[in-house]
Amino acid sequence: MTNSINEIENSEVLLVAGSNTTEAHPQVARRIYDAVDRGAKLIVIDPRRTKLASRAHIHLDIRPGTDIALLNGMMRAILDDNLADDLFVEMRTENFYALRDMLYRLDLAEVAAVTGVDQRLWQQAARLYARARKSVICYCLGVTQHICGTNNVQAYANLAMLTGKVEKEHCGVDPLRGQNNVQGACDMGALPGVFPGYQPVSDPKARAKFEQAWGVRLPAKPGRTLLDMTHGGGNGPVRGMFIVGENPLLSDPTMDKVRETMENLDILVVADIFLSETAQLADVVLPAASFAEKTGTFTNSERRVQMVRAAIPPLAESRTDAEIVIALANRLGYSMHYQSTAEIMEEIALLTPIYGGIYHDRLEESWGLQWPCFDRAHPGTPFLHKYMFTRGKGHFVPADHQRPAESVDEDYPLLLMTGRIYHHYHTGTMTRKSAALNRECNEAVLEINPADARALAVRNGERVRLASRRGAIELKAGITERVAPGMLYTTFHFAEAPINRLTVADRDPGSQCPEYKVCAAKVEKLT
Amino acid sequence: MDAVLSTCVYCGCGCGCYLHVQEGRVVGSSPSRNHPVSRNNICLKGWHLHEMVHSPDRLTSPLVRKGGRLVKAGWEEALDRAASGLKKCMTKHGSEALGVLSSAKCTNEENFLIQKLTRAVLGTNNIDHCARL
Amino acid sequence: METRYILKKDHLAPWLRRVAKSHRVVAPVKNRHGDTLYAEIDGLDKVELDLAGQPQASAKSFFLPQQEVLFTYRTGKGGYEFHEPATPAPATVYFGLRSCDLSAILYTDVVFMGRHKDPGYRRRREGAILISIACHQPHPNCFCHATKSGPFLEFGYDLQFTDLGTRFLVEAGRSRGETLISQWRPFFSEAAEEDVKLQYQLALEANGLFRRNVDVGCAVRKLAEGEVAEGIWRELADRCQDCGGCAYLCPTCTCFTIRDEKLGPEHGERLRCWDACTLEGFSRMAGGHNPVAREQHALKRRFQHKLRDDVHKHGRPSCVGCGRCVGICFGGVDIVGFIDRLSEEDLP
Repeated sequence: MTNSINEIENSEVLLVAGSNTTEAHPQVARRIYDAVDRGAKLIVIDPRRTKLASRAHIHLDIRPGTDIALLNGMMRAILDDNLADDLFVEMRTENFYALRDMLYRLDLAEVAAVTGVDQRLWQQAARLYARARKSVICYCLGVTQHICGTNNVQAYANLAMLTGKVEKEHCGVDPLRGQNNVQGACDMGALPGVFPGYQPVSDPKARAKFEQAWGVRLPAKPGRTLLDMTHGGGNGPVRGMFIVGENPLLSDPTMDKVRETMENLDILVVADIFLSETAQLADVVLPAASFAEKTGTFTNSERRVQMVRAAIPPLAESRTDAEIVIALANRLGYSMHYQSTAEIMEEIALLTPIYGGIYHDRLEESWGLQWPCFDRAHPGTPFLHKYMFTRGKGHFVPADHQRPAESVDEDYPLLLMTGRIYHHYHTGTMTRKSAALNRECNEAVLEINPADARALAVRNGERVRLASRRGAIELKAGITERVAPGMLYTTFHFAEAPINRLTVADRDPGSQCPEYKVCAAKVEKLT
Repeated sequence: MDAVLSTCVYCGCGCGCYLHVQEGRVVGSSPSRNHPVSRNNICLKGWHLHEMVHSPDRLTSPLVRKGGRLVKAGWEEALDRAASGLKKCMTKHGSEALGVLSSAKCTNEENFLIQKLTRAVLGTNNIDHCARL
Repeated sequence: METRYILKKDHLAPWLRRVAKSHRVVAPVKNRHGDTLYAEIDGLDKVELDLAGQPQASAKSFFLPQQEVLFTYRTGKGGYEFHEPATPAPATVYFGLRSCDLSAILYTDVVFMGRHKDPGYRRRREGAILISIACHQPHPNCFCHATKSGPFLEFGYDLQFTDLGTRFLVEAGRSRGETLISQWRPFFSEAAEEDVKLQYQLALEANGLFRRNVDVGCAVRKLAEGEVAEGIWRELADRCQDCGGCAYLCPTCTCFTIRDEKLGPEHGERLRCWDACTLEGFSRMAGGHNPVAREQHALKRRFQHKLRDDVHKHGRPSCVGCGRCVGICFGGVDIVGFIDRLSEEDLP
């Protein structure tokens, strides 16, 4: 996020896109409710009528994967009404004319046809967003999990820049990060192309710095992404894997392919707190300590680095992942020794400019520090791009609507989206172990519109077969108006109904994010 | 009973949660009032954060595959087997044939070490995690 | 008239130190993060007592823990064997309880020590000595004056402390409290008439400092007469986001659930855990039917219980006006908002 979570409640217009915020980010939703109660206007872009959408002043229920078309339409409305922030565009951005030319060529009737949204509605939304002094955009995986995810994000950024709704408090474009430390894992360079702090591995200067610190030669070629590893890609699948606290067997698309890769590995080492579906295939399983048993830091969605503190020692024979990695490194002939995780953080601070001033002792005395934080004297950064984009000027990248990888047809007439629900989390490795959460919800439910249910003669609560071109599962149908006719929605939390047997592995070429939000499917009655 | 302030392990909001500990067992979880995100309330997942910690399904000892089955083993044996397996694979197919998945559940310090292991020890940039899922 | 005493502030720590020799002491402690929680005091010099601020949670968890082992079991040849855990319930002095929190304990006493006595609660409660501190600085969300559970108490405490600046006025409500004074009598002197007058003055001032004017009586009347429109319940339910936080934080919410946790092939334990009537699973039956339509009535039962059923049963609402649930609701629907809404209907 470029903003802090608490800034949201002071915004005047909130544009929430592809985010079931009440269920997936309750604290953000709490701020949105507060803001709306104080008079802020809420615009929700979502194919589903989520709880938040039902409270929105304007709900733009687009067809999945048509964000770009809609945003182009909105930006055109802004130009037509003279609502662009000309000064900001002139002074702080570049490539505006390319965007403008594209917008003036736009066929508005086609936008309406592609998105399925009334022109007046998106024009209204555009005016609302552009006219307010403080407008903020929050988006989530509904925007990114498309083959055009990067362009989707760029389209939202274009909208914000066109109206000057960045570089200021209470304004900005905020991706809501889905996992407690997904931000931190990225920051720490658990990515194939970058060292900690987003320093490219291909940059000789960055490499030299890390080579000097670690005393070894480092590879210059960016590595393979998760899907490249599990689905093969150009070089064939990998032969040996070390997996820490992940369950790709349940979380990755086209899971039968993932299983095949895992089963054919020469060596699979898994460190986890539970015997996950992935761990069951391993050659070696190492029992890890849970978050309650270790000390370190997590970085939340607003870039706040904060302490995790051991409440109890590691259970039974388990060890922290840090201990496990250190033991492995030493066995592999690389000497690694740290007295504490605070010492590891010192090395992070040394090598990672955006974490340059982050030390455990500082975090102990505060509610955490928001990066960038360059040195001990730096107070942290509640919102990014203040007065100035990190890269200098904001760059407009005009984008055209791109059809999703898969479309519905006669055989698979329904459009399936996947996502989360409130009571569970990701592949359920942890939440499914909680009695209270399981009591509230212990089963995958396929949301289906009453019209479709009627046509299929499916009753509420009936078990049905859900199939795509890649596989099929059985699960319970839940009839609801939350999904529009022709659409389906379910979750990926339940091993009993592994939805990723069905999903497509097509992905955005930039972010490598799979298109979980669009998959052609059909529903059949069980006989 | 001790109350240890920690950070919730579920979504990206990052609530400050107290873990309540009694005789070595985490028996409760509650929000921090002054924490800028949690502000004295957390969602149902947070209020029940402690329940998975002591789940009887937790792994209690290393497991090693023998004769097609995973059987209990000591740490030394398991680590040796893991290290030699990775080393063998690296010698036979080269570093590029290895892949490491880190985790959004691990701490920053652990993620840092995991990518350091991948790059400096295994000699590859084949490291990723489920950021996009 | 009961005897009133004076304890100089200089003597608070020395007195508590002596009390701690024979009792476990629980008091509001401001921790290094700035949060104030009731906590067991292990060495008075190591902690910062916070007698001015309201602790972020009530003392409920000391009497009704968030999770508690009721018994463990083992299956053997002869069937099941049960073991009750030997959890000690040492004599505990709760020092610095807010008036609302003490009032809440009196309410939970009615629930757990009425006709059926809950063994665990009783064990913990019977060893407890309750010392409250009168509030003369109500917090922004407090409304205990409207629920008649503060800011100064008339009864219910073993001892009540009132901060008079350099000294505390100490009132003994029960013999257990009186004993704590007589045991260390030299620390205490008898209160003068002006001390009592000053306390009276402070109580009057405190009542004038509440920022919230909450018409609890109006809500009680409307609920009793069934005058709450269906649309209100529906709106509340629509906004409730299922966190359970209002019930968990509430000092008088006593809902719990019981579950068995298998710990191995032949043994396990039975746990009692906090529950919330706002959750869907709370009322869902084994066959899947739910007598409560959550979509419309998620919060109805909670508010009816607090403001109608308990008035009917015990003569007063079971909301103690601590205000902790105010401002923490993810959907912005707390009990004060509800009460305000009912009283606003009557405005011209």
